Amino acid sequence: MTGKKIVWVAGLIVAGMCILPLSLGIYPQHVLIVSLFYVMMASSWNLLAGFTGQVSFGHAAMAGIGAYTSGILAVKAGVDPWIGVCAGTALAALLGLALGALCLKMGGIYLSLTTLAFSQILHIVIVNEYDVTRGTMGLQVPGLVAEYSKITYYYIMLAAAVLMLTILYRMIHSNLGMNFRAVQNDEVAAKSVGAKVLQVRVLAFTVASAMAGFAGGLYGHYLLLITPEIPSLDLQFKVLAMTVIGGMGSFFGPIIGAFALNILEEYIRVYGEYHVLVFGLVALVVARFAPNGLIGLWRKFRPMKTHLAVK
Amino acid sequence: MALLEGHKVSKSFGGVQALSQVDFVVERGTIVGLIGPNGAGKTTLFNAVAGAFKPTSGKVIFDGADVTGLPANAICRRGMARTFQVTRPFAAMTCLENVMVAAINRHPEKPRPFIEAFAHEKLDFVGLAEMEGTEARHLNVIQKKRLEMARALATEPKLLMLDEVLGGLNTQEISQAVEFIRSLRDRLGLTVLWIEHVMGAIMKAAERVIVLDQGQVLMAGNPAEVVADQRVIQAYLGD
Repeated sequence: MTGKKIVWVAGLIVAGMCILPLSLGIYPQHVLIVSLFYVMMASSWNLLAGFTGQVSFGHAAMAGIGAYTSGILAVKAGVDPWIGVCAGTALAALLGLALGALCLKMGGIYLSLTTLAFSQILHIVIVNEYDVTRGTMGLQVPGLVAEYSKITYYYIMLAAAVLMLTILYRMIHSNLGMNFRAVQNDEVAAKSVGAKVLQVRVLAFTVASAMAGFAGGLYGHYLLLITPEIPSLDLQFKVLAMTVIGGMGSFFGPIIGAFALNILEEYIRVYGEYHVLVFGLVALVVARFAPNGLIGLWRKFRPMKTHLAVK
Repeated sequence: MALLEGHKVSKSFGGVQALSQVDFVVERGTIVGLIGPNGAGKTTLFNAVAGAFKPTSGKVIFDGADVTGLPANAICRRGMARTFQVTRPFAAMTCLENVMVAAINRHPEKPRPFIEAFAHEKLDFVGLAEMEGTEARHLNVIQKKRLEMARALATEPKLLMLDEVLGGLNTQEISQAVEFIRSLRDRLGLTVLWIEHVMGAIMKAAERVIVLDQGQVLMAGNPAEVVADQRVIQAYLGD
């Protein structure tokens, strides 16, 4: 797709997304808001895992950093939630920078395990520091707007997602994005042609973490109750599943994956704990039959169509 | 002044001394062959010079500056490019993108159309222009070697280091490749340091040959001197 065409398509989709909730009830609106949170999480995780090959398990933890930073500032110091979200984003970026630097010389499973450990440590601290975080009871926080309305939150989340996706799209299609992919493909070769591999890796970590912190901050103020479920492995693996099922390493894959899985979850929720089983099965089927995700499946069949059209 | 100099370059891995006190000189505008039996330390020397790892001791002087222990990307920016013995293309990227990665790091300020045209020109130069939209993992070994050469050229090097680029070629292809490497020097003014096992090709193209054996410089001289040297014959054929 050319640049101009993509702007048109994106514009139409966003316009559609603006109108969509007006005809929907409160509950479907809620589902869409949560989906938008996952779009931000999966897309930013994709930058890290899909574009630079750093499979971090600390992404949900960064969302937790964003949510709890903003929440605690609001509750303990009366800081305005919008400023709190900015602070949460900054702290997540800082921790992302540190974690990225720590993992610099690591690849593959070692990086994953280190970030997993980070995530678990954070989870344990949050659960146990009851005085500050209210533990598993959850921290009640004020909202982003004075009068609570789903539709307002929907537009806030939509604007945030569009902003983030625009940044990601531009980044992926810039020189930096090209270096991201080169680093993922072969670090040694990337270095040999002049790519600043260490900088590229740390930058990806910092940007992705900041984005997770931002998404988490907004999400916390939407839920009004921040619990350790945000910085949990459950959420991390859900983000991972969305990205992989949608199509890792592609721009649209995680967006599609986030909506697909989050909406699917609503339909299978009635089966209680078994809904996790369905998730697993979907992931299994996709991994076996469409290793490049839903977007890969679409790409695979698209050329056949154009081919037929030519005939 | 020579373009590249090594002073007592040594590298050990644990207890194994892969390079010991290697001294060498590569003059500007020459093609220098680096030969030696398997395990002599040729690729290790490449890695130590190009920044893939730090030498344990010794100095590498490139273009008048001490580059010992600098990271590979910094050394590349100073004008040293290399290919790999076992090719390392960006497998999931197209040929054009492979070369573009090198181009954007050489010319970060240039707009995308310039980069694409620049990369295309390099691919054309190595005869891969019609493969530019193909992902690198689909190339055969010979094409991958060419792709690496295009990628190295896109960094606009002063020194090009080639690590066994003739493997798998037939006689006719070898003489074409030798012509090609000569043209790099004659047309682009590059200096070439070239590891090769195909002795005939090295003898034809190189002005100087450095012989490594067991991590040490056995001798250095012009091709005629090297093939006539008793020590070299012994190193290759044994006593």
